[in-house]
Amino acid sequence: MLRDEVNILVIEDVSSMRTQIRMILKSFGFKRITLCESATDAVRLMDAEQFNLVLCDWHLGTDVSGLDFLRFVREHPTFKDVGFIMVTAESTRESVIEAIKSGVDDYLIKPLTLEQIESKVYGVLLKKRVLE
Amino acid sequence: MSEFDLKIKEFIEELGGFAETAERTLAEIEKDLLGNKEKFSVFFERMVAIRGTAQQLNLPAVAQIAKLGEEISVKARTAETRPQIRKCVGSLWDALTTIKYLLEHYTEKTTEEQDILVHRLEATLKAMGGARPSVDASEIDQLLKQRR
Repeated sequence: MLRDEVNILVIEDVSSMRTQIRMILKSFGFKRITLCESATDAVRLMDAEQFNLVLCDWHLGTDVSGLDFLRFVREHPTFKDVGFIMVTAESTRESVIEAIKSGVDDYLIKPLTLEQIESKVYGVLLKKRVLE
Repeated sequence: MSEFDLKIKEFIEELGGFAETAERTLAEIEKDLLGNKEKFSVFFERMVAIRGTAQQLNLPAVAQIAKLGEEISVKARTAETRPQIRKCVGSLWDALTTIKYLLEHYTEKTTEEQDILVHRLEATLKAMGGARPSVDASEIDQLLKQRR
């Protein structure tokens, strides 16, 4: 798959963060980027189209956290293999281990840097054989 | 207006909503300190959101206070006495008020009053058992490799 064909879903409740992540992903040549602010919106979007990668905030300010959503995705028959990167300011050892146990592919700590996002996003897309 | 100023403006507008939720939560906790202490989790969530965005926008003073607010609200949830919870609520009001002020005056330098507040929040946190252990990016990579 070419970079501009990769379909990425960003779930983040803070709009200034959402737009910043989109800007960074665009700078890497990704064109298909969908933004949403809650896990509920994400499920609706994932039902409607296939995504290759999900970047999800841990604390979504709703009853369903990013971790809950990750667990839901990993148990879902259609979504379970999607690349999933947790994007968060939550860096306690306990939380990271919890996310890893729940099947996260990678973990991005805020503040996000271009280099960090580039390495994690490409790493997961290569691992999932979305990009060759 | 620069792109940075626009982002800050957008963030401050969003923070209005966060602060409203956080203020309402603290007011509810004050009505029943022991019975409503679970609501500290709402405050915690908002502090994490503020810290993450503040770090991204390079507002270290805001991020530092939000981090302290975050950790104090975690400790407050497991506090067992009214005085402990009351102490936490007081500290969290101070933290929230200061964060709001700092965001509205983000170009100003850190003042002595802010330093005093940070020390006070740190002392509260220390008295409650200190911050949770955290990991950095390289430790996270290590943990991910162990899984693989």
